[in-house]
Amino acid sequence: MSVFLSSLGFGLITAAVLAIATVGFTMQFAVTNVLNLAYGSVMINSAFVTYYLNLHAHLNAWVAMIGGVVTGSVASYLINRCIFTPFQRRNLPPITIVIVALGVDLCGTFGLQAIVGGSYFNYRQSPGRQWHFWGMYFSTLQLTIIGIAVVVLALVHWLLKYTRLGKAMRATSANMNLARNSGVRTQMVISTTWIISGALCGLAGTVFAMDTGVFDATSAQLYIVLLLSAMFLGGPGEPYGAMLGAVTIGVATEVSAGFINPQYKEVIAFVVLLGMLMFRPYGIFGKEKTL
Amino acid sequence: MSAIFFYLATVLVYGAVDAMACLALNVEFGFAGLSNFGFIIFQAVGAYVAAALSMGPWKSSNGGFQQYVFGWHLPFPFPWIGAALAGGLLALPFVFLVGKRLRGDFAAVGLLVSAVLLNQLVNNYVPLFNGAAGISIVPAPFQGFWNPQSLGYQFAYGGVAAVLSILTYFLLRRITESPYGRSLRAMRDNDIVADSLGKNLRVQRTSIMVLGGMIAGLSGAILVGFINLWAPGAWGYAETIVLFAAIIVGGAGNHKGAVLGAILVPLGFEEITRFIPPLSNPSLIPALQWVAIGLLIILFLWFRPNGILPERRRILSGGEVLAPAPATSNDDGEPLINLGNLDNMDFRSLLRLKGDAGEHDVILSTEGLSRSFHGVTVVSDVSIQIQRGRLTGLIGPNGAGKSTTLAMLAGTLAPSSGKIFYEGRDISSMPSHQRAQAGIVRTFQLASEFKKLTVLENLVCAIPHQSGDSFVGAARGRRHWGREDQENIERAKEMLDGFGLSQYADSYAGGLSGGQRRLVEIMRALLAEPKVLLLDEPMAGVHPNLAHKIGDQLTRLVESGMTIAMVEHELAIMDAFCDPVIVLAEGQVLAEGTMAELRAKAEVVEAYLVG
Amino acid sequence: MSGDLSTAGQILRATGLSAGYDGRAIVHDVSVEATPGKVVSIVGPNGSGKSTLLKSLVGVVPVLGGSVSVGDTDITNMTPERVATLGVGYVPQIDDVFPPLTVKENLDIGGYLLPRHEVAARIDSVLEFFPRLKSMMSRRAGKLSGGERKMLAMGRVLMLRPSVLVLDEPTANLAPLVATQLLEEYIRGFAEKGSTVLLVEQRAKAALRVSDWTCVLGGGRIVLQGPPSELENNPMFVESFLGGGASRR
Repeated sequence: MSVFLSSLGFGLITAAVLAIATVGFTMQFAVTNVLNLAYGSVMINSAFVTYYLNLHAHLNAWVAMIGGVVTGSVASYLINRCIFTPFQRRNLPPITIVIVALGVDLCGTFGLQAIVGGSYFNYRQSPGRQWHFWGMYFSTLQLTIIGIAVVVLALVHWLLKYTRLGKAMRATSANMNLARNSGVRTQMVISTTWIISGALCGLAGTVFAMDTGVFDATSAQLYIVLLLSAMFLGGPGEPYGAMLGAVTIGVATEVSAGFINPQYKEVIAFVVLLGMLMFRPYGIFGKEKTL
Repeated sequence: MSAIFFYLATVLVYGAVDAMACLALNVEFGFAGLSNFGFIIFQAVGAYVAAALSMGPWKSSNGGFQQYVFGWHLPFPFPWIGAALAGGLLALPFVFLVGKRLRGDFAAVGLLVSAVLLNQLVNNYVPLFNGAAGISIVPAPFQGFWNPQSLGYQFAYGGVAAVLSILTYFLLRRITESPYGRSLRAMRDNDIVADSLGKNLRVQRTSIMVLGGMIAGLSGAILVGFINLWAPGAWGYAETIVLFAAIIVGGAGNHKGAVLGAILVPLGFEEITRFIPPLSNPSLIPALQWVAIGLLIILFLWFRPNGILPERRRILSGGEVLAPAPATSNDDGEPLINLGNLDNMDFRSLLRLKGDAGEHDVILSTEGLSRSFHGVTVVSDVSIQIQRGRLTGLIGPNGAGKSTTLAMLAGTLAPSSGKIFYEGRDISSMPSHQRAQAGIVRTFQLASEFKKLTVLENLVCAIPHQSGDSFVGAARGRRHWGREDQENIERAKEMLDGFGLSQYADSYAGGLSGGQRRLVEIMRALLAEPKVLLLDEPMAGVHPNLAHKIGDQLTRLVESGMTIAMVEHELAIMDAFCDPVIVLAEGQVLAEGTMAELRAKAEVVEAYLVG
Repeated sequence: MSGDLSTAGQILRATGLSAGYDGRAIVHDVSVEATPGKVVSIVGPNGSGKSTLLKSLVGVVPVLGGSVSVGDTDITNMTPERVATLGVGYVPQIDDVFPPLTVKENLDIGGYLLPRHEVAARIDSVLEFFPRLKSMMSRRAGKLSGGERKMLAMGRVLMLRPSVLVLDEPTANLAPLVATQLLEEYIRGFAEKGSTVLLVEQRAKAALRVSDWTCVLGGGRIVLQGPPSELENNPMFVESFLGGGASRR
């Protein structure tokens, strides 16, 4: 029981990071129908910006985090504007866009490695005091990460449900032509979506780096698999599904790590992803993408 | 001096291995349209199996410091054969993933993830693969007889590798430049349509994945026998992206392009950077290599998407390359099509029509056929009978379920309930390609030409019972199928001539006008030698004058013993040519009879005018 | 009915219009004019280009020749979102609502161009017009019945109080009674309140009953037009649907 509870605690932290990342990723898919496999490289670049601002430019960690968020935002906007949108205008098959995305990912990841080198970086924050609830242990840092995730996801919920922009995003995702007929400037909505989802991506990268503590330029390459499996579990393009999927995958990987060889803890995510792709490619509940 | 020769031998081996890998991946991706993002796994598994077969039992070799399976200490060439077999076997589970009707990018993600998953497994599972350390001291072939470090050995090894890659090139060319290769490219361009013309997609995909897997496995074996070690780190999923980059740069769908890509990208990148002096940051050069590969992919896909050596257009018409005629068009912007001497065409012999005209028994019928999508019933309880040797029309307002009914007859869609009978047999669950082989051939409402096949290829591809249209047939070479293929080409040319499109014989079908593409589709369906031809709005986008000429030919076909059922909006066509006409409305049969009879029926008039 | 939705209509005019996809015309040289307070309907057999014509008017399908104007503004090849700002409301035949959004959210999007504080009041007037929607404001649009869904689609467009309404087969897939009510009560109602209504309708006889002017499209051209009373008794009218000579050229 105690193994279960302590690994559940780890699972919640993993899920918190994953949820932020997956919601951003799935929003991009919802409005542009692109599987942005370069997402991981934007995450890690943002993480490095935060790291640099915090430890080398000696800025406050929260200010540095804003730097990372802005990086994710700007980079995502540019990638969509300068690469995905022009390629999509050519009416290419989705597979070509995936190959392009992988190309962007290589440029982003290894461009960063060319600058920072191949070694690992240590971004250990002081974990703060230990907290203890119901058999689970958390450091202050970990609680902060979970708190950030809860606040951010609540903000996303508020945006999508209660703001004019959020409704326009969902309308654009559901039926772009009809949204235009209603006077929604969909191009602007799509750009805004990429800016917001990019911010989530940057934030996810930053908290990912803070959570793991040690990382290098290629650390997020495997992360995209967790993210994909969380997204497909909840249905591609479904932000609420993404949250649910992220919690499931995050908890499942960590809890299984408590019982089987921890080196295989990602395997469960892979298996979920393959199973979803084979049998329910539009999610457990979903039929097609909706925002 | 000898250092240079050693270097050259190494380059030869690496070049051969890369060329084999690119050739194999190109057949999968460039010819058959299977985006196998897990490709590197096949190479890795081949290499591992070759290593494990050639080494002795792990406990007794080298003090048992590494674990692996087999350890049978097999002599050359058995490890290589084993590697090829392992690559081929591994293809079987992958076929399942690429064969699903999944969005292209979803399937690619699935394959990519499989590659990552297997790599993870290898890295962590010591008893099978010795974990992240990998396997070292893999014996080189013949190392007991010939010193692997000698220059002679190294060149001989390079020579064998080069010969094998050249053999691969010719083998693959033999497969792809055949009727079977044509079917593969048809599947790549539009799999649903290829299916409806009788191509067994599962068999085609399996054969190509197995072939590609075997070649990949063999190439891995060649590599591991030369460098004598096998480390999982060298087989990351990103290596597959390098191979894709090579094919995109070289030219997908072109064997020479694949070889060129192999020389330029994996080999070229590795070799050029050898000559850069070491820098203070050791990871800078590899990192920049990856950046360059990423940029190469993006820039080529943008500026030169077909690669340096684009896919070759196959000229089947035989030498006399007709310049595409200057397009004359009428005021609607639709190029005028002048039909050729269609009236003189002998359909019975050209299309191998059997059966007598004048027999009008029921050939195709349905009982209580229904279909719903996401809970909405589109066709409900339709029972119709289509008589042999008649031209049956299917009409009805929008959303009446005409096209859905037709698709169920052809097997493109499975019915939710109800039965379909063909010549007395229940074919309700027969797959589409088998129905086509049995004589039920359909056309599509939307453009369905194979875009990157020439017009002539589009037509020849549909002809059934080609001896070169199977993996084995293609492997037996042109001697086996060449003469027959020439006859088929002549038949297709005759057809093309009749429809007045001869000058487009060697043009890509994707470049034709809408009306011309419709004609290509009709000709292609006819050459599939149907007993029952199902036409889905064949006249849409066709000039009315031309539509009537086509209608005349359909009448002649029916008089020659063919059965035709046609969905069409243009009621004038129905009037002139179809008897009987079946009216569908809101998914149900409303009436049946000649157009004149139907016009007299109040409910039909209501369906059209009031609803 | 509520005066809140009444509007000063504008003239929608197409002159010598050709339109189609990929540079290939499906509609040829069509001239049609819809005026405030009147219902103009376009009928014709399947595939005659009715939907394409409407789409080209509102900027969804490219115009290849001729021009379109609303009032004094030339809207030829204007983007759909600009056309919407000029007071033209377009209801497509299918995909006419946002299925995952609730009824209320659909109406909110309909009022996207309105100042924020006017949205609630406008929703109230739309609900007054379509009272059936009142009880289902928080239901997802994808779960509505055909008739409710069409009301929502119209309601979404009415949010902007459009001066011109362009409706593509509003009665398709509706039960006959609902269709009749929609045409004769609501659509006729729009015109009576001053809107300009241009309607494509598959139920030709029903279209004749509600419109002031009807055009019959065949092969992308206008083959017949006139006031309904005249068309009704014209033998060419039935023939243009069921063949027998009229549609052969």
